Amino acid sequence: MDDRPHKAHRPAQSGAKAEKKDKGKGKEKQKGFNEKAFAPKSGRRADRQGRRKVEQDQTRLHVPLVNRTPDDEPPPVIVAIVGPPGVGKTTLLKSLVRRYAKQTLNDAKGPITVVSGKKRRLTFIECNNDLNSMIDIGKIADLVLLMIDGSFGFEMETFEFLNILQSHGFPKVIGILTHLDLIKKAATLRDTKKALKKRFWTEIYQGAKLFYLSGVLNGRYPDTEIMNLSRFISVMKFRPLVFRNTHSYLLADRLEDLTPREQVRTSQGKCDRTVTVYGYVRGTNLRMGTRVHIPGVGDLSMKSVTVLGDPCPMPDADSEKRRKLSEKKKLIIHAPMSDVGGVMYDKDAVWVNVPGSFTRGNTDVPQGEGEQMVMDLQDVGSTLEDAVAKSQIRLFGSSSKNLTVDTNMDDEEDDDEDDLDLDSQEGSDHEDSGIESDSQEGEDGEDDEDRAQDPRSTGRSSHRSGARTLPSSSKKQRTDIEYAESDSDLGDEDEDRDVGGRRVRFGEDEDHDIPSDEDVEDDEEEEGDDDEAVPRWKRNLADRAQTSLASSRKSRRKDWTKLIYATDLTPEEILRDTDREASDAKDAMDMDEEDFFQIKSRADNGEEVLDRSKEVWSAEELKKWEDEEMLESIRHLFITGEDNPGGGDGDDGEGGASGDEEEGGDSEADAADDDASPADPEAARAAALAAKKEALKRKFDEQYDDPEASKLDFYEEKKDEMARQLALNRAEFEGIDAEARALVEGYRPGQYVRIELADVPCELIANFDPTYPIVVGGLLPAEERFGFVQVRIKRHRWYARTLKNNDPLILSLGWRRFQTVPIYSLDDHSIRMRMLKYTPEHMHCYATFYGPVALPNTGFCAFNSLSGETPGFRVSATGVVLNIDRSVKIVKKIKLTGVPYKIFKNTAFIKDMFNSALEVVKFEGANIRTVSGIRGQIKKALPKPDGAFRATFEDKVLKSDIIFLRAWYSVQPRKFYNPVTSLLLSDKANWTGMRLTGQVRREEGLKTPLNVNSTYKRIERPARRFNPLVVPKKLQASLPYASKPKLMVPQRAPTYLQKRAVVLEPEEKKAVALLQQIRALRKDQVARRKEKKDEKRAERQKKLAKEEAIRSEKDKEKRKEYMRVAGQKSKRAAEIEEGGGRGKRRKT
Amino acid sequence: MSSLLHFSGHQHFRHRLVLSILSGRHVRVDKIRSDDKNPGLRDFEISLLRLLEKVTNGTVIEISVTGTAILLKPGIISGGAVTHDCPLSRSIGYFLEPVAMLAPFAKTPMQLTLRGITTDENDLSVDLFRTVTLSHLQLFGISDGLELRIKKRGAPPEGGGEAQFLCPIVKQVKTLNFVEPGKVKRIRGVAHAVRVNPQFSNRMIESSRSILNRYIPDIYLYSDVYKGDESGKSPGYALSLLAETTTSAIYCSEAISKAGVAPEDIGLEAARGLMAEVNLGGCVDRKHQILVLLMMVLGSEDVGRCRMSEPTPRTIQFLRDIKQFFGTSFKIVPAEHGSTQLLYSCYGTGYVNANRTLA
Repeated sequence: MDDRPHKAHRPAQSGAKAEKKDKGKGKEKQKGFNEKAFAPKSGRRADRQGRRKVEQDQTRLHVPLVNRTPDDEPPPVIVAIVGPPGVGKTTLLKSLVRRYAKQTLNDAKGPITVVSGKKRRLTFIECNNDLNSMIDIGKIADLVLLMIDGSFGFEMETFEFLNILQSHGFPKVIGILTHLDLIKKAATLRDTKKALKKRFWTEIYQGAKLFYLSGVLNGRYPDTEIMNLSRFISVMKFRPLVFRNTHSYLLADRLEDLTPREQVRTSQGKCDRTVTVYGYVRGTNLRMGTRVHIPGVGDLSMKSVTVLGDPCPMPDADSEKRRKLSEKKKLIIHAPMSDVGGVMYDKDAVWVNVPGSFTRGNTDVPQGEGEQMVMDLQDVGSTLEDAVAKSQIRLFGSSSKNLTVDTNMDDEEDDDEDDLDLDSQEGSDHEDSGIESDSQEGEDGEDDEDRAQDPRSTGRSSHRSGARTLPSSSKKQRTDIEYAESDSDLGDEDEDRDVGGRRVRFGEDEDHDIPSDEDVEDDEEEEGDDDEAVPRWKRNLADRAQTSLASSRKSRRKDWTKLIYATDLTPEEILRDTDREASDAKDAMDMDEEDFFQIKSRADNGEEVLDRSKEVWSAEELKKWEDEEMLESIRHLFITGEDNPGGGDGDDGEGGASGDEEEGGDSEADAADDDASPADPEAARAAALAAKKEALKRKFDEQYDDPEASKLDFYEEKKDEMARQLALNRAEFEGIDAEARALVEGYRPGQYVRIELADVPCELIANFDPTYPIVVGGLLPAEERFGFVQVRIKRHRWYARTLKNNDPLILSLGWRRFQTVPIYSLDDHSIRMRMLKYTPEHMHCYATFYGPVALPNTGFCAFNSLSGETPGFRVSATGVVLNIDRSVKIVKKIKLTGVPYKIFKNTAFIKDMFNSALEVVKFEGANIRTVSGIRGQIKKALPKPDGAFRATFEDKVLKSDIIFLRAWYSVQPRKFYNPVTSLLLSDKANWTGMRLTGQVRREEGLKTPLNVNSTYKRIERPARRFNPLVVPKKLQASLPYASKPKLMVPQRAPTYLQKRAVVLEPEEKKAVALLQQIRALRKDQVARRKEKKDEKRAERQKKLAKEEAIRSEKDKEKRKEYMRVAGQKSKRAAEIEEGGGRGKRRKT
Repeated sequence: MSSLLHFSGHQHFRHRLVLSILSGRHVRVDKIRSDDKNPGLRDFEISLLRLLEKVTNGTVIEISVTGTAILLKPGIISGGAVTHDCPLSRSIGYFLEPVAMLAPFAKTPMQLTLRGITTDENDLSVDLFRTVTLSHLQLFGISDGLELRIKKRGAPPEGGGEAQFLCPIVKQVKTLNFVEPGKVKRIRGVAHAVRVNPQFSNRMIESSRSILNRYIPDIYLYSDVYKGDESGKSPGYALSLLAETTTSAIYCSEAISKAGVAPEDIGLEAARGLMAEVNLGGCVDRKHQILVLLMMVLGSEDVGRCRMSEPTPRTIQFLRDIKQFFGTSFKIVPAEHGSTQLLYSCYGTGYVNANRTLA
């Protein structure tokens, strides 16, 4: 029976059952889940669940912040790798670069930018162990990879860095544990991981991401682990930080000195330099006219800003279609300070790394880019001059035309070379043969120029893709290069311009009235560009004004922006011109306008022109309004008037909002045969109509679909508003050309710019070290000023000492790092700010210092010393800026003391408080007090002893009383500001600021001067002797009885009670004897009891002593065993330590 | 530190001082009426400098011996209760305008009492300031506690008026996006007559209504009566009118008494001035272009837009000065094709009131 196979179940294919089943399934799927199954059983529970859900929703919300960084082309994300030395930062950097760019760096210095995805680029930067670098990195990093040696644990630097981050806005942090392979035992490894993770979470937040990197393979971390890390980095989301969202900044990835060599030579390298820095604009828009601060250098002004092409461009549209980043794009890396591809740009030389042995002509080994370049240079037979003369130079291999050079272009080129090229000049100093060095210079110069101007250039030839044909005129070519990349549309505009100065369109386009102002603009640009030294708008003003005027008249429309900003016509001239046009249009107004402006011109001729805000209407202008027709003509501007204005009036604009459709049709028909002018209003009208319809439709949809949904809550509303504003920001300046756009809104975040800085201290160049980050931070107008800054400060609880008033403190505030002298104070009952000698423990206090202003609510951290040798925790205080002012009122208490020298009833004469009557007069009416608490008042100065005065008290004072006057003395912070110019030092880690007096004395070996009067002496207070009060006999006699002194002589003779004898009665005697006996018995009893007790106690002591002896024996043995084990352990640890041989650490 | 800016001439003195104080840049103005018979600063300009010194802390003003050059090193705007006696050569409006630009960025709310002439033909009268200028400030989120109290009227030449200006402080002004002028929906006006027959104000109202009544019914013209001590020292009367549109753009005009002119004519002049302003259109009238443009520049780092009529000469110079002080320039394009109105748009500087105290 068993082996017979069962018949398989065949579900019903049709019929009621099949239908039922299908239906059931479908229903389930539709619903998703059975609501009844998850319904809360009790009402209370439902309530709790509901509340929890709401709470969760609320915690999800954050204060909406505007993100100023554009979404379409954001700057690369700065990923900083931070950690103590020897923890594996460089290894991680190399591993990550290898992962993204498939290149191995030998010498990774400075920022390294790679493309990490279709929408993201990353800039890696390694932070060295200097506190200055940590501060600067903390201010700019978007993501921090915080490296921790797992085998060692947290170190001081890690915590210091976290505190720096905390006070400057916390960027995202990923922890990375390394050296985990050094822990051999699995259990120890697990425990270590757990302990470190717990500590890390308390520092950052619960659940912060912590990575574990095991060992090092081939000088890199394992590929899978790096891949995991890179995935985390690429999906990381960033929330804008307030400070960075209000300041523009830039992490310089390249630095060049443009100072004329001759000037450097004549000043022996001590002259102030002109320096260019290159980098991506971040934060907000960078504007010309503002100053910048480079932490470690100082405040600098920007001479010029130029947008360059992106050296590490994002994948463009074609690769956008792919899901993944193409392999080719992955190779792009921009790291001018590192040795990408074996080429390294030092500050004054280019180094080419050649693997193994190198022989020229050895073609079978593939040559690196650098080698190729040098070999090409060697192959050049003639100098640049010759080459130019022959004009056989092509900028690019693919260029179709040769470069032509005319004479005036020539010297310009020279200029450029002087400016741009360090390398070439240095090159010519080498003792190469003349021709070779010359040619090198030439080629190099060209190359450099390419780099500066060709945006596609990444410093390597392989990825240059700008195969652009050069126009015939070299002047034009310059313009072309400068603008072409910033706005790709301009290319065809140039062509148009070539046709004849004004754009012409042909039949297939709709008949537009083409404004020629764009052309004018272009022309002007062209003119403006041929010499950059003079401000563009100042040159050829008259010419330009004329052309622009002419063109505007032609086009009957003027470019106000140009007229106002680019000409130096007086305001009246600008307006007169408009009105001349207007007068062409309107004959009626002609007379009035002329009259009106005659008045003005008379004013120009030296008549007093009042600065008046009320614009006067001329009599004629007013007279016009006496006319009924005129009055009627503006009826459409009132709500009672019809929508469309009376025909022919040029001045209406908003009337067309609701033109009828058939009218629109008519006018379209008109537009066909007529000139271009009416077409535009018709189009505008149609557009307006469409917009109105759209709005109506939307409104209807909203109301029809869900009236509740259209009502947004506050949060949504705010977010919506921000989004709308951002859209407007994007849309408003979309169309205008790059230069005008830069003028109006500055340089947007994400653009790669070159900033020319003037008057940079030469030490920045002389002592340049690429491992120290150069941050260029934009300053707000308020931040350039100096003043007294009041901050709320709290000593860090890990900092070992209290902070003393008037001791110098190094602050990191805003972009700046500086040393200043704060005064600490506390608010005393909201009456006064009272100075403190020391910062209070575990409490905030105020500090006021002189220095550059930072906006209120800016966080800062403070240090007493930045040097690496400082033992212990270096962050001494943290706080926030509260107030900025030009004067401060902080007081300290002062007590003036005096003594009474003559006392009347409630009046006393006091001396030794003041030195002159004048001082007394100043204090007349002041409250004084004696030590015993009698209050009084200063009345009037006395003539005789200088500074003595009369005072009254509420009671009689004693001659021995000390009188004091409590007053407040105002203290001013010292005006001391000392920027931490660490980047200017050759030894950057050892900046020393102002030292404490004690430090100076210690270092100089000076003794503390000792004032004899200040030494503490033993206070001697002799016992006071009071003479007996003697009332004269005569006086006594006349006193009433009550007032007479009640003095009696002590009795000498014995009294009766003392003298008498006492005899007892027999009963009494008996009683006394009995009592005596009873007492004796009692005494004996007590004595015996005591004896017995003593015996018992002694016995017990003996017993206890015995037990104690046994116990101590046992203890001794136990301790012995423990110490033995401990000793072994420490011995083993010492052995390991010696074996490891890593650097000395400061243990937390 | 902040680089020095250099200007010459006495014109545009006020807004240069204001821009200097707001931006914190030092300013040197020279050739102040150097070719004039009476060279140097006038009494009202000196008075203005004194007023600015009162409302700021740490301002250093150096005037040359001849008075033809001054150097201003601005401090911070402190605000608070300040009283100032204005000279009789200019009205209170001359002093109120720069203060209104500074007061929102002060450390403490401003309570400024000004004494002098309240209405004259050169500057905004206190009526227009109260009704129009303050509503323009409200566009930028400066609203709570913003008030002008007209305690006493003072007509030229003797003055004797008093006005108290209360202004709150803000952290940052709002970005303006005002491109729809709308249509005029109501007209309001204030007529006052001090130390003359009180019927004069009614006569002005009557005559101006003869023009205005044809357009809209919503017209209220008030007759503001000040008696006795409150009416100042000199006789005078004036009518100020304002027209408000559906999008609350405001146009205004004013006419004040002149010798030998009937009150009816003053009323007509005011009404015609208003018609001229309405005809020019835009969202902001010509008297307030500078104020609005300044606040747009000081807004957050967003694009602000405003539609106005063509710039006045003062506005043009102001735009140029703004560029020097803040490095910001405006994009100015015609609002529509063929329209004389212009659309001014700029990218705000993100100016934050750094003077404001935290907690």
